[in-house]
Amino acid sequence: MPHEPIQIKHPEPLAELFRLLVSGRHLNRAADAALWVALERNQADYGALFEALGFALHVDGRGFAFFDSEEGSAQLTQNSRKLALLFLVLFDTQADAGQALGRFEDWLIDRELLEHACEQHQEILQAEGMDADGLAEVLGIAVRYGFARSEGGGWRLLPAVCRYLDHFEALAAECRAEQGEDDDFEAEDDPRGGANEEE
Amino acid sequence: MEYGFQYLALIGSANYDRAILPLHAPVSLIGENNKGKTSLINALQFMLIIDQRRMNFGAHSLERSKQFYFPANTSYILLEALLPQTGVVVLGCVGKGVSHDYEYFAYTGALDLEDFRLPNGAVVPQPRLVEHLAARGHSVFRYTPGEFRDLVYGSGRRRRAGEPEFGVFRLEHASDAKAYQQVLTRTLRLDRLTSDEVKSYLLEIFRRDLPDADIDFKREWDKAFAEVHADRAQYQAALKQRADIEQMARMHDERLMLRGKVTAWRPAIDAALEEWESHYTRERQQLIERGEQIEKAQAQLLEDDRARVGRRSELEAERKRLDAEQEEQAALERRFALIDDRRMLETAVAEAGKVLERHLARLAQAEGYALADLERERADYQTRLQKLEQRLQNLDDNLERRLQQTLPPEVGAKLAMLLCEDALAAGPARFELDSAALGRWLQDMPPPRLRLPGLDLDVSALTPRPPPQTAEALHRERARQRRRLRELDEQIEIARGHEAALRQKQALEQARRDAEQALEDYDRLLALRAGSSQRAARQAEIGQELAQIQEALDGARSQSDRLRQEAARNDRARNELDAAHERIGRLREARADRDPVFEYLPELPARPWLEPLAITPERLADALQTYQEDCRRLLELNRRLEEHLTLLHAGGLSKFQYAESPEEEIRHIIAFSQQLDKEAEALEKKARSAVVTVTAGLRELRDGLGSFQSRLREFNKLIGLRKLSDLDTFRIEAVAQTRLVEAIDVLINTAERVDSGDSFSLFDQASVLDDAAVDRARRILIEEGEARQGLKVSDLFRLEFVIGRKGERPENFADLDSAASNGTVLMAKLITGLAMLYQMQNKNHRIRAVAYLDEALALDRANQRSLIAVAEKFGFSLIFASPAPLDTVRYCVPIQRVGGRNHISSQGWQELEPLQVEQGAAS
Ligand SMILES: Nc1ncnc2c1ncn2[C@@H]1O[C@H](COP(=O)(O)OP(=O)(O)OP(=O)(O)O)[C@@H](O)[C@H]1O
Ligand SMILES: [Mg+2]
Repeated sequence: MPHEPIQIKHPEPLAELFRLLVSGRHLNRAADAALWVALERNQADYGALFEALGFALHVDGRGFAFFDSEEGSAQLTQNSRKLALLFLVLFDTQADAGQALGRFEDWLIDRELLEHACEQHQEILQAEGMDADGLAEVLGIAVRYGFARSEGGGWRLLPAVCRYLDHFEALAAECRAEQGEDDDFEAEDDPRGGANEEE
Repeated sequence: MEYGFQYLALIGSANYDRAILPLHAPVSLIGENNKGKTSLINALQFMLIIDQRRMNFGAHSLERSKQFYFPANTSYILLEALLPQTGVVVLGCVGKGVSHDYEYFAYTGALDLEDFRLPNGAVVPQPRLVEHLAARGHSVFRYTPGEFRDLVYGSGRRRRAGEPEFGVFRLEHASDAKAYQQVLTRTLRLDRLTSDEVKSYLLEIFRRDLPDADIDFKREWDKAFAEVHADRAQYQAALKQRADIEQMARMHDERLMLRGKVTAWRPAIDAALEEWESHYTRERQQLIERGEQIEKAQAQLLEDDRARVGRRSELEAERKRLDAEQEEQAALERRFALIDDRRMLETAVAEAGKVLERHLARLAQAEGYALADLERERADYQTRLQKLEQRLQNLDDNLERRLQQTLPPEVGAKLAMLLCEDALAAGPARFELDSAALGRWLQDMPPPRLRLPGLDLDVSALTPRPPPQTAEALHRERARQRRRLRELDEQIEIARGHEAALRQKQALEQARRDAEQALEDYDRLLALRAGSSQRAARQAEIGQELAQIQEALDGARSQSDRLRQEAARNDRARNELDAAHERIGRLREARADRDPVFEYLPELPARPWLEPLAITPERLADALQTYQEDCRRLLELNRRLEEHLTLLHAGGLSKFQYAESPEEEIRHIIAFSQQLDKEAEALEKKARSAVVTVTAGLRELRDGLGSFQSRLREFNKLIGLRKLSDLDTFRIEAVAQTRLVEAIDVLINTAERVDSGDSFSLFDQASVLDDAAVDRARRILIEEGEARQGLKVSDLFRLEFVIGRKGERPENFADLDSAASNGTVLMAKLITGLAMLYQMQNKNHRIRAVAYLDEALALDRANQRSLIAVAEKFGFSLIFASPAPLDTVRYCVPIQRVGGRNHISSQGWQELEPLQVEQGAAS
């Protein structure tokens, strides 16, 4: 296929978008509406340009985008591990509280919730040397990477957290498959909250 | 007979000398790579896309393509179609030779390539085409590309006289033409269809069912709430500044009162001022006169007093004198109580004179001795006698004698020179002598010196002591002195008698003088006695007069007090009058009611002044002062009310700014602030109806999403007709953007809730304006709306492809390309594209068109059959291009090459058995 020069119609948000994504941050429709729309409207062009620069742009219709880097830096891996722990603990706590996991964007994660989560997961958190303060710190990291934003004395999770949720659900499904259970996964709310009518 | 495309033919175009391809049944176009399969099919673009901007020749530019397809004015692209109204027609495109341009033409009748050949066998050049075809019985109509496009897509173009109906496609909706062409373009290359294109075409196709306009949510919200917010801002501004408004109300009230008061007072003040000058002069003159009178009276009083005091001291002196006489008389009376005849006293005087004369005679004898001298001499003799006696007593043993006896004579004499006679005469009882020690001491002193401690005396010049008197001499001496003593005693006796006589003389003289004095005093007494009664009368007189004077003085004092007080009063009255005059003058100078405001004061709203007003000259100054203060206060109130108003404006309360006058505005503001509770209620009602209003547009969006989803469900039924590869499920879903849709739902629900009235009583719920959920929803919608410059239905969902392999759970994919194998994806795209075109066509005007699949061998036979069947159902016949022949089609058409030029003739077509179309159809 012959190379055509890539022409970008809206360079201004592009630079901002690139800066955001290249820092390892996730773009969220819910948090950066304008950038998201710019991306949505120029996805093909931007994607091609980023690819030419050596970045794989991944856009998820549920409202987030990121650069899919195969091998993250040690720092990233470290943080990713912490984030995974945070989200795992949060999801588990909320599931126990009867919350639909797919609606994580609705949760206000405040100090109280963090402490409750700590109580419930003392063992695993202690093994990691983590407490409520530690979790709050990790939420700071989550903010930095576009998984959460501070709001009204707490945090709210952003759509990018789907990445972790997908992962947890896949793991759960695998477990169930191994145990040969007839999974009742369908009963759970579809995180994409869509019109999932069967015909 | 099926309507639609029948044949495609090329003459002298795209490296084809001549080519004819059946289009009414599935075809397998066979040729090695680079032989010209794709170029042949692409020729259809000139017939169906027409708009050069939309044409797509892959790597080849439009310019090159025009050169490729229309190298000469003998290059033709021809299409035969069977149309419902007109029957068989030929649509064509012929090169003009110049700059590889071309023009369109059409005529009725079947396509016969011989029609384009001149008798000499050459191809008819474009300039002769019309004439040539006319000669062969075809009347040709020529078109520009624009006209031709309108003609093919039957978009309401007015036909020319005698022009048949050449319209090929008839769409359900003329407005779909653009989308239809776009999809159609892609059907020539359906393998290149991307997921995004599928989505945008679907949107395009179903757009009709979606609300047309974008919803500028922010604008709508702002519009709906503009009044609410404005009212609320006013309400809150009033609430916040309630205290200020209350103060303003008080000032406003005071101003009304003052206006009434000032209006009422003004004429009275003017009249009183006019009268003042004469009042002042008159009054002042009176006071001055009175003052002078008082001063005169005071001076008179003072003079009278001075006279009275002088008289009083005179009288007092006289009375003192009379009193003294009285006393003198009393004393004389007592002294002469026993004397009642003057002659007794005269006798006593004469008697005393006689006694004195006798004594004086006696005294003359005793004069001669001075008693004092005699007595001194006697005492002297007495002493001398005593010493002599003593010497006589110690005559045998005394100090002189001892010294003579015990010491050598010169030494003794030396010492005796120094001692006094008495010391030398002292008896042994009075001294103790150690003559040895004394002798030694004296011996040591060289003569003629006598040395005592501290004294060295030359004694040579001293007279040596005479030898001591003898006892005899001493006895003689003693007798002589005793004699002399006796003489002296006699003389003293005589002298003493003379002294007493002298003293007696003095006493007698005194007695005579006393008698004379008594006589004199007695005469005095007689005189006093004689004036006694007259004196008593005078004293009584004096007492009386003094009492009168005192009374007059006392009276004068109280009158003087009275005058002083009156003078002070008078002065005060004058000062006050002057002060009042001065004050009035000053006040009159600076009349506060000169401001123009006061000219039209009577026309301004005011509270009538009902209290009585009477201004006497005395009260004028105060009244004027009060009046001035009122005027000034009125001005101040005007100013402060204005300031207050400005403050209230600054504080956001601007609702009544357009009132007739600031005064009106103030009244409105006061009334408004007194009804804030009602205002709050009204506000809430408005807010609620605003929510209802604003959700109308959202409801449209929401309904649009619903209808889009239901249209999509129908569409899914279409594409689900045939099974694709091993897929159990293949459908396209509109997945709602939860955040947005929920935000819309929140607002819609709120609107329904507040609209339903009773259940949502005004006071048991917080204001809609403060509802956190509503606010969050609003924020989300505004954020998204602003980022997208308006909300459309398409912003509410995303399309996802749901693909489920046999026996597996269906999965959602955003991108079709990654969802399955190449062949399967290709199938999915083809079917979706064909379904979309089908969807757009008028159901009563079906025209079979063509779809083209390059690299057809990517599909297995089952899929090929399915594809053919589905295409058939949707009104397309398929052209598969591949190097090797397919056996699923009706015709196999190989490309032949003759002398480097491509060639396809109908003789080369191989017709296969008719297809079992039902084979492999989905259940
Ligand atoms: N639009 C065009 N403008 C100019 N030249 C073209 C154009 N289209 C095709 N050609 C030329 O025509 C020749 C045939 O190409 P074409 O793409 O039709 O071959 P093909 O049979 O489809 O081959 P393949 O099997 O590889 O797809 C090529 O030499 C190509 O360069
Ligand atoms: Mg090809």
